[in-house]
Order: sequence, then C-alpha cells, then structure tokens
Amino acid sequence: MNSLRLAAGAGPSGRALIELREVWKTYRMGKVEVHALRGVSLAVAEHEFLAVMGPSGSGKSTLMHLMGCLDLPTRGTILFDGADISSLKGSELAEIRGRQIGFVFQTFNLVHTLTALENVELPMIFQGAPRASRRARAVELLERVGLSDRLQHRPNELSGGEQQRVAIARALANDPKIVLCDEPTGNLDSAAGMRVLESLRDLNEEGRTVILVTHDAEAAGYARRRVQMRDGRMVEAAEEALR
Amino acid sequence: MIKDYLGLAVRSMSHRQKRSWLTIIGILIGITAVVALVSLGQSMQRAVNKQFQQFGYNLITIYPGGLRGSYRGPYSATFELDTDLIASVDGVEAVEAMLYKSAYIRGGEPPDEIEGFLPVVGLSPGITKVFSQFKLEQGRFFTETDHYTAILGQSVPKDLGIGVGEQVEIEGQAFEVVGLLAESGLGNNNSGIFIPLEALWEILGDRGKVSMVWAKVGQGYDAEVVAERLKAGLKEARGKEDFTVQTIEDLQKLIGQAIGILQAFLGGIAGISLLVGGIGVMNTMYTAVLERTREIGVMKAVGAKDSHIMWLFLIESGFMGLVGGAIGTALGLGMDILAVVITKRFIQTNVLEFGISAWLVIGALAFSFVIGALSGLLPARSAAKLKPVEALRYE
Repeated sequence: MNSLRLAAGAGPSGRALIELREVWKTYRMGKVEVHALRGVSLAVAEHEFLAVMGPSGSGKSTLMHLMGCLDLPTRGTILFDGADISSLKGSELAEIRGRQIGFVFQTFNLVHTLTALENVELPMIFQGAPRASRRARAVELLERVGLSDRLQHRPNELSGGEQQRVAIARALANDPKIVLCDEPTGNLDSAAGMRVLESLRDLNEEGRTVILVTHDAEAAGYARRRVQMRDGRMVEAAEEALR
Repeated sequence: MIKDYLGLAVRSMSHRQKRSWLTIIGILIGITAVVALVSLGQSMQRAVNKQFQQFGYNLITIYPGGLRGSYRGPYSATFELDTDLIASVDGVEAVEAMLYKSAYIRGGEPPDEIEGFLPVVGLSPGITKVFSQFKLEQGRFFTETDHYTAILGQSVPKDLGIGVGEQVEIEGQAFEVVGLLAESGLGNNNSGIFIPLEALWEILGDRGKVSMVWAKVGQGYDAEVVAERLKAGLKEARGKEDFTVQTIEDLQKLIGQAIGILQAFLGGIAGISLLVGGIGVMNTMYTAVLERTREIGVMKAVGAKDSHIMWLFLIESGFMGLVGGAIGTALGLGMDILAVVITKRFIQTNVLEFGISAWLVIGALAFSFVIGALSGLLPARSAAKLKPVEALRYE
C-alpha cells in the first residue's frame, strides 16, 4: 500500500519522468526463481534528486537497471517520459539510454584502452556527433570536472576519484535529462567521494534529474528525497522537504 | 562513422598487440601463398604470351593427327602433305615445312672423331620468313640454292667438336657447316642439326614427308578464317581429318587454360591456409568478445545499439584481415620476383616474366578484408546480442 501511495505522489515539479507501476523482476537460477523486485511502484519527477537506499541484495541495483532502460521488467509497467518501455525495441531502448540517460557506476566502467577524452567522446560517437564538436564538448566536460590536465591519460593512470569524475563527464556527454548513479562513492575514499557527490548535487541544481543508488546514509544525505528498499520491496519513504 | 569505429578497433588491437599480430600472421601466410601462386601463374602466362608474340599471330600450324587423335607431338609423327594445295588457299601468303628426324652423325677429325645419333631437322629455305625465332649467332642461313649445307644448334659444336666452316657427316653424306644457331628458349633447337628439307628428303629417301607445316597468313586476312578454309580444303582433298590445323591463338588459349587449371589447383591448396587464417581470426574475436564483455555492456549503457557493437567488431576483424592481406600481398609478389630472378639466373630461359597485376592486388586486399570480416561475423553477432545488464555484471 505504501508503494502505491508513493507512485501517486510524483515529485516536486509534478510531471513524472520515470514511473514504475507494480514492477516485478524475477531471475531464474537453475530451477530456483529469485524475485529481485516484488511489486515496486515509484515515480521520479523531473529535476528530482532521489536516493534509493537499501542493503546489498535488496534489489536497488535491479531497480536502477530498469529505470536506466538496461533491462525490462518481468511484470508491471515502466513509463519513461510517458512511454511504456516494455513495448520498445532494443535499438529504441539504446536510443533512450544514449540521449536521455547518463550512467555512473561503482566501478567507474571506463574503457581502459581509451584516454579520458576518448571515454567522454564515446557516447557521442554512438549518436553520430561530428568529430570536432564532439571533441570540443568532451574537453569542456572534463574541464568542468577539473580534469583539463588529464585529457590524454588512460584510466589506469588516473586515481579512483579522477576516474569517477571522467565517468561523470561521460554521463553528461549527450546532455541527458537524467543521471543514474549506482554506488558512485563505493570505491572511493571519503574526500573523493564527497567531491563526486557535490558534483551530483551541482548537476541537480542545474536542472538534471539525479537518481543515486546507495547503501551509504551519508551519501544519501545529498539527495532531496530518499526511498528505502528491502527484499525487493519499497519499505519506507523518507521524504523530506528541501534540505 | 567507419573512421571513428576504426579508431576504436585500432585502439583495442594495439592493446593486445601480440595476439593481434599472431592473428594477422595467420591471414598473412594464406594471402602470401595465394598471391605468390597466382602471380607466378601470371608470370608464366606472360612469358608464354611473349613467346607466342615472337611466332606472330599470323601463323597457322598444320600437323598430323586429328583433334582427338593419337598425336604424339611434332617430333614423332610425320605425314605427307600437299603444300601446293595449302599455298593455293585464299589468304595464305607462304607455306613452310619442317621434318624432324634422328640421323647418324659423324664429325671431327680422327682421332677425335665423334659419332652418334642426333636430331636432324629439315627446314624449307623460306622458314626464316615465318619464324623470327631462328637467329644465328655465327655464319649465315641457307639460300635457295644451298643443298648440302648445315646449321648447328647451340650445343652441337661442344658435343661434336666442330664449328662453322668445317664438315659434318649425316648418314654418310658430308655437309658444310655454314651457321651456328643462337641459343633459343626451346631445348630441341639447341642440340639439333638443321639442313635444307630437300637434302634431308634425299639422304633419308623420305621425299614428301613432313612433321609440321606452317602457313603464313597474308596481311588483312583473319588467321581464324583462313584456318577454317584450310581445314575444309585439306579435308576434302584427303577425304579424312587426319591432321590438325591450329592457329597460334588456339595454342595460346590451350596453354593458357592449362596454366589456369594449374593456378586454380595450387591456389585452392593455398586457399586452405587462408581458411585456417580465417579460423584464427574467429578464435581471436571470440576471445575478444569474452574479454570485453563488460566493455560491451558499458558501450550499450552509453547508447550503443546492437548494430554499433556488431560493426565495431566486424571492422576490427576486417582490419586485421586487411593488414594481413596487405603484407601478404607484398610478400607474395616478392616471392614471385624472387622466382623470376632465380629462374633467369639458373635456368637461363625466360619461363617467367614478372609484372604486377592491379586486379590481383585489389582482389587480394578485398578478399583478405572479406575473410577477416566474415570470420568476425559470428563473434560480432554474439557480442551484439549480449544483454546490457548481463554484460555489465560480467566479471
């Protein structure tokens, strides 16, 4: 019931960017069915900064994959910008991921054969952006995250914090509406982690929707709304007014 | 787009340099073998064509035996042929004949006298008009009035110990040596003794017999047409087709076909090594897909479509094929040059004639790219079909 109430109440600005209705995700491991999500309903409004909290195994990563159009639900409906994603083709989902969503992962997930600059260019290559404008934008984004002196470095020549900032620059490459972060501070020391969280807050303040998946309460403190997950269910909504 | 993908492919290949090169070597060996063999065949063909050009295309050859008969080559069969009839055919400008025999020869002065059997070739005096092939190193050719005169093949002076101006005895008849033949590409010419056809007929008592007759086609006539006319005329006069009329073009085609078959056969064998190279590419690409599963997941997360991933891998494998192909083509042509140089030096005849065929180069490059891309097709498909979430989770 709790989750239904949440779905009804879209965020501060009213319009739901992502809406999940009674979403189930079931994995089959041999003969055993594992329910990663058991009827989750959630609405994320435009310009929100939402933290999805919960211990490992609670289903929060699965939730993030579904919200990021990386996977489709077993049951239930997911609306992205009003459109039901389960009726979309793989290439259409890729289109949404490429243009509307930026991902930031716990393990950074940079392509280790490419330089920082090229990693940031990568999403633009898949959108067919011309070389010159793509390069200019990548330089600009890396400058913005404070890495203008690291353009030609490869991931293994960068610290964890620097790698995550490259990942944030990459997430912004195609100017997405929404930035999805899966434990972005999980592999970082607290100083580097704080810097990452601050840049996420900046992104939100300039109007981007930010969804942060984390088990770290301190990290979740940066968000303006928090939801709690346990055993594949939404258990508690710690909604707060502006911090 | 291709340029960007190529950049990405080169990056990932240079990251795994050793393995990429090993894969490229697999393709390289195959392409080298194919290019070397095909190019060698072409060199052979070129040399043959050059020989034929020396004969001239206005020559028709008539020799005994039907088309599917038991002809055993110009040096073992003889027949009687009405050369006047041939000369009367419209378009025939001149008729020359040759009789090939083996005869008892004696040369030199006692005690250095040498005797034995050597090929003796009777030639009609006008033969130099149809063959530019008979070039003299020394002395002169027969004149119309010459009778007991002889021209020696290149190696005869060494064998018999006689030279121009001396005498040689053929079947008991003394001949005056008037000339020495320059070395020719045809082995039989080098060890034989050439005398006027009339004289050979006389000493062997074989008047009218010939091994081969050549009709020279006049200017403005088509050799093929004249050959058909000749064939019809001879068939009518003889009542049966116990002869073969062949134009140089026919012969060239025949030899060209034989070289072509040889080429296809050897090329096919070399093609097997190319297949193995292709399997090497496939293996490398499958490994690359496994290794880069997570990377593929990341690319999909940042907006790559299945088709993008597919192209990325196809271009990578195609590029490996192309690099192997480019090096292989260069090596293959190099091997052909080497073969030409070696044969020129050690066999001392021009059985090979080097030249670069643009089609071979373009074809080899395109083929190697296609082999690479085709071998990458299945791995690329499996990469493209990876589910983004599963690929991202892959450790």
